[in-house]
Amino acid sequence: MGILIENLMLFLQAIGGFINPWALFHMAWSTLLGIVIGALPGLTATMGVALITTLTYKLQPDLAILVLMCVYVGAIYGGSRTAILLNIPGTPANAATTLDGFPLAKQGLAGRAMGVATSGSVMGSIIGMFFLATLAPLLGNYALKFQSYEFFWLAIFGIVISGHLTSLEDPIKGWIAGFLGLMTAMVGQEGIHAYERFTYGTTELMGGFALIPAMVGAFGLAEVLTVMRNPPAEIAQNPQDSVIPRLADILKYKRTIIRSGLIGTVIGIIPGVGEDIGAWVSYAAARRKSKEAEKFGKGSVEGLMAAETGNNAVVSGAIIPVLTLAIPGSAPAAVLLAAMFIHGIRPGPMIMVESPLFVYQVVAMVFFATIAILIYGIALTKPLLKVLAIPRTRLMPVVFVLCVIGSYAITSRVFDIWVMLGFGLFGYILREMKYPMAPLVLGIILGDLLDKNLRRGLVLTDGDITPFFTRPICIVLWMVTFISILMTIEPVRHALQRLFKKNLPRRA
Amino acid sequence: MKKADYLTGLALILLSVYVLVESWRMPRLQELHVNPFSVPGIVPAFLAVVLMIFGLILVVRSVRAGGHHLSLSREGIRKTLADPGNRRLLLTAVLTFVYAAVLVGHTPYTLVTGLFIFVFVAVFEWRRDMSRREMGRMGLAAAVLAIVFAAAVSYTFERLFLVTLP
Repeated sequence: MGILIENLMLFLQAIGGFINPWALFHMAWSTLLGIVIGALPGLTATMGVALITTLTYKLQPDLAILVLMCVYVGAIYGGSRTAILLNIPGTPANAATTLDGFPLAKQGLAGRAMGVATSGSVMGSIIGMFFLATLAPLLGNYALKFQSYEFFWLAIFGIVISGHLTSLEDPIKGWIAGFLGLMTAMVGQEGIHAYERFTYGTTELMGGFALIPAMVGAFGLAEVLTVMRNPPAEIAQNPQDSVIPRLADILKYKRTIIRSGLIGTVIGIIPGVGEDIGAWVSYAAARRKSKEAEKFGKGSVEGLMAAETGNNAVVSGAIIPVLTLAIPGSAPAAVLLAAMFIHGIRPGPMIMVESPLFVYQVVAMVFFATIAILIYGIALTKPLLKVLAIPRTRLMPVVFVLCVIGSYAITSRVFDIWVMLGFGLFGYILREMKYPMAPLVLGIILGDLLDKNLRRGLVLTDGDITPFFTRPICIVLWMVTFISILMTIEPVRHALQRLFKKNLPRRA
Repeated sequence: MKKADYLTGLALILLSVYVLVESWRMPRLQELHVNPFSVPGIVPAFLAVVLMIFGLILVVRSVRAGGHHLSLSREGIRKTLADPGNRRLLLTAVLTFVYAAVLVGHTPYTLVTGLFIFVFVAVFEWRRDMSRREMGRMGLAAAVLAIVFAAAVSYTFERLFLVTLP
């Protein structure tokens, strides 16, 4: 009970810290910018957070992270506008929103659909925020028990699960992307003997590939190329009905909201599995449990609510491993993690010992961003439609200029512009061949963790690999990893299905 | 996709072999009496083995599907280049790479940024059937966007963030 009150006091202290004109001003512009970024097709949440990171160098650390959190939450919400009005997900997170959002708009209920999306996003954020506040401190304390063996498996587990879930049709492509990311992280000075790997005397490569330029390339330039290749989108239609969220919707679909919020949070916690998967899984679960399943895909309010609750709950969920393990739960969270390091914040297992207030500051940031999306969701529908009408031929050169200067500005090296270009082209080709980007980014981040902890673990045991397989947390991690891999092998899956089918009736 | 998978598989195998050779050649640091399990080459080699397995799976799978029958015909290339989407893609790639890899860093940043935005808008918005008036309007819009944005970015990064422009 004492701890609960102590945590509540920290949360209130964090809230109080942000109630000043300067912080509120940053909150207002960054959430609005996030919504605009999310709404514009071709500008994703990851790209938005990466580009805005370059604009926050000079801000104080807590204000910089506040701005990035607001952009993140705003972008995931903003994408729903485009999904409903144009049938194009503003960000990949809103792909499931199009299924019922657009049919509702076609029935003349665009305003109502946007109201439902606002309710869903707000409720998803609140549920996610609750778990961020309660689970992050618990996981933080638990993570203190992790040693090299656990961190090694955590890295492999993250890559395998993220690769599997982001490439369900062909998991091997997800794993290839993840291991290519890990391999990319091998370039540069390694962390134990300071030997320079794969640098060939290039001083610029000594520190390895910087994450922000790589992500700006993979999510910025690659997106610019994709958008310019695709045919242009149609201009949005003005909604005629009210966009104000209804309390009755929230009460009627409270089960769906809670379920989707929980699913979103769990998906968020899983490393490298982001908002898009959270929305799809929430949507599928809602359809399975719904009494009106036949309406799904034809303009179901419940389906729309599930998708939008799911994706916004992922945001807070994805922050939990960032804070407690320094492992991103999603691609935008990976940028946030990099931004935290840039600003001198050290997320990881020690965070609850070193700076517990920061965890609650992040919760407070989600809280304020949620209030902001609610206000903007009600007030700013028509001006946003004007933004949607900006032609891509004018937007994309501007975005690319920001990609270039953003990559350069961190360390003032022209080399980072080349890194951005290289990863942009590489990312585009991979994307065209249906390789997901999230495991690649996760691999770049986890490479160092895997490298140090595999070698440390082997040194500690003098080459004996038994502890990697026998420690309790390791057992869970490697078993889930191996089952995930085995389930993709056709004969194994069939054998397991046969086994279950044979056993289940007997049990019944 | 099966042809792309076949080539990707081969590329992965080549990459893995290269990384394995490089990992083997990395120093073992015996003279420093370091633990042999902490040598720098061990993790890249482990990753290379995993990637090689994935590469082999891709190759075997695509060969079974007939993806190894590669052909490059003049007709195929012409068709690819005639596709409007591919043309836009190629044009975007050329413009962005010339701007970022060739011009930035060697020419005044503000000027070349403005020029890039202007040329990008003009190239993609230009149509054969445009009247002079439409062209003038488009040119003016491109110029205004170019000047305002190039100046704003330069000012923000140079004066506010104190970054020396490339």
